[in-house]
Amino acid sequence: MPIPNGGLITETNRQYYAGAQQFYLTTGGNNLTFTSTFDTNLIFGSSDPSNGQYGLNNFVVSISANAQVWTELTPAQSVVNAVANQNGGVASANITTTVAVAGLRVGMTIYGAGITGNPTAAKITIVNGVNITLDKTIAMAGAATTPVTFQFDEPFTMVGNIITVADTIPNTTYLKIHLKDSAVQANRGSYEYTKLHDVIDNFLIAYVGAGKLIPSVKRTDVIFHAKRGLQEFSYDTLKSIRSQELTIPISLSLAIPQDYVNYVRFSFIDSRGAQHTIYPANALTTNPYSNPVQDNLGTPTQDSFDSNLTGTSQTEAAWAANDPRNVSGAYVQTNEINGIFGRSFYDGAYGQRYGLNPETSQKNGWFTINERNGTFDFTSELKNRLIVVEYISDGNAYDLDAKIPKLAEDALYAHISHSILASTAQTPEYIVQRYKKERSAKLRNAKIRLSNIKLDEIIQVMRGQSKWIKY
Amino acid sequence: MAINVNTVYQTVLLILNKEQRGYMTPLEFNKIGTQVQEEIFTTYFESLNQQLRVPQTNTDYADRVVGLDEKMSIFKEFETAVPVFVNGLATSVFTLPGFGDAGNTNYTQAITSATQTFTVPNPAVLTYTLTGNALTLSNDGGIPEVFLNGVQLNSNAYSLSGATLTLVSTPTPGNKIILNLYAKEFYRLGALFYTNGAYPTQELERVDRTELYHLLGSNLTKPTSTYPIYVYEKNQITIAPSTITSGIMTSYIRKPIAPIWNFTVGANGQYTFSASTSFNFELHPSEQVEAILRILLYAGVVIKSPEIIQVAAQQIAQENQTQQI
Repeated sequence: MPIPNGGLITETNRQYYAGAQQFYLTTGGNNLTFTSTFDTNLIFGSSDPSNGQYGLNNFVVSISANAQVWTELTPAQSVVNAVANQNGGVASANITTTVAVAGLRVGMTIYGAGITGNPTAAKITIVNGVNITLDKTIAMAGAATTPVTFQFDEPFTMVGNIITVADTIPNTTYLKIHLKDSAVQANRGSYEYTKLHDVIDNFLIAYVGAGKLIPSVKRTDVIFHAKRGLQEFSYDTLKSIRSQELTIPISLSLAIPQDYVNYVRFSFIDSRGAQHTIYPANALTTNPYSNPVQDNLGTPTQDSFDSNLTGTSQTEAAWAANDPRNVSGAYVQTNEINGIFGRSFYDGAYGQRYGLNPETSQKNGWFTINERNGTFDFTSELKNRLIVVEYISDGNAYDLDAKIPKLAEDALYAHISHSILASTAQTPEYIVQRYKKERSAKLRNAKIRLSNIKLDEIIQVMRGQSKWIKY
Repeated sequence: MAINVNTVYQTVLLILNKEQRGYMTPLEFNKIGTQVQEEIFTTYFESLNQQLRVPQTNTDYADRVVGLDEKMSIFKEFETAVPVFVNGLATSVFTLPGFGDAGNTNYTQAITSATQTFTVPNPAVLTYTLTGNALTLSNDGGIPEVFLNGVQLNSNAYSLSGATLTLVSTPTPGNKIILNLYAKEFYRLGALFYTNGAYPTQELERVDRTELYHLLGSNLTKPTSTYPIYVYEKNQITIAPSTITSGIMTSYIRKPIAPIWNFTVGANGQYTFSASTSFNFELHPSEQVEAILRILLYAGVVIKSPEIIQVAAQQIAQENQTQQI
């Protein structure tokens, strides 16, 4: 159904796919308002492309006479030419034009080469035939008449998803609000989610009230438990959708993403685009949180502001200089005991090395998390490598994050109910327990749903069972 | 929908005079009527609280919560709160409606009522322009009563917007139109709502000042324009976040307007009821019996009749008991 008809979908197909909402005006006029019904809130900086704030806009407003050829609504569209009588260079807020000019509107700004004393752009406040009153004084010097132009510096404005077009729109005109590509893409797939404020409103409607188990609750409590629930769910239930594609610099360090809570996987990307997992160097090395400079007796030293003096980490320097093949055992140098695990070529020859240590036998590289510097540190063979960092956030970092997959929506209601009942005085314990079980059961359901197990995929994996396993 | 003040007064006089017990003057009646109306009105809130704790039936006319809501709905108002301006800029502090004309800081609810009389011209017109106190009260959303040639018009027979009174039907030239306006007096604050353009309207949550600072300090519960909060102090509301400086709507309960039984003195010195200068009880019609009984109770005190007091008190007690079973 392309037209919203009372269901949960409120955007038309055109709004969703093309990011466009169109209006048709049988009767035009000025200061007309147009209400955006996109799921995406409009963001407005300026309607003048020459204004630096224009780049903030996430939409464009265009008009057309035939809905085929569209012209963006900019100050240039509103320009009205006139000829003003000079006033002897005496600054005045009242000017006259040689003839009455149609199309002049209150709010238009006057421009012209012959105008002086107009540094702040005077605007029309009254139009009465050839007599024009401005909100500031200007001077008309020079020739007997001065060509001037009037235009709306901001041909339209937007507040609260309502666009007001200052200029006159002719009768039988089409007007279109067109979202920019980034805004359209951000909205795609949004039906998969329920916004957190909808969850909060729904909860207050359905679970709170006279005659219900929660007769009254502060909305801030519901907001708190909803956000906490979203955080908890983000850690182990919801899909991890955060990832960054980065190149490891020569310093071998990358800043931890701003909304990072925990990592899911680090992997480098080879020339064919395939991922290779980079492993944590958990037991192999560490990033000391503090590196105090010691005196000869080993005591940490302080500067004149009583702060501890700190130096660079020798551990990190040594690890950065280390050839990772020393860890994996791939590095072979005859006649010498080498590598971190003291392996040599002869170990294998003497039959003393039985198989591999799978934890360290890999050549994809290692990473550590440097809490002191707030960075991910990598081993040297990953220098200049393209990597992908997949991580989880807590769902509360940005307003856009504040949403829950519909597959886990019921689990969040159960979480909020349980949290409120468990923290409310005099709630019978059996009620608390009942809701605890309900929460647990619904969360389990959500995890199963979100784990995305598909029968066809399992069948494909299980087809491997007919392989012979050779020892 | 109101209780006719003349009916109540005549009924009270009838009962009092049945055995020549005494007489209640219009002045006494107006004072006692006001007292009784306030008494009945203030019981609504406690009754509602009690009834909300009791399971209700959803059968038509039997749900007591709905019944109480119907009685209270007469006094429910929904109006815009006006921001307080500092140095010409709107702040996040708002004045509540019903506290006087927020646009005029010198106005402190001094005008409680105003009357404006129009004579229908020839040819007759539908619109009439208000001036003076009537205009002030009209702008403040005062409660109007319109009488055409002494007959009160239904509220759907006219409309009042700012300075303009518009009649639906053309009146007869020469007829008198009397417009009475009564100021609304704020009683209790209900919910507040924030509207910003086409964004969904949000209810504001009321917090006290201690909570406010905790909430502002908490990242998870910090108020936003999606979930704003407010503090209610000194008859003003202060909203957080402070970026909200307009678009606040207020629902509140106003006080009932005092009933007035007014009269003209006839040729024989008798009091003749004057509808156009009187004001009915605003209570729900179902409260008529209760109002008469309570007035009789006070009348018993005035005329020093223990019997009246006893009978009225018994009746009231019995009625209350029935309502709370």
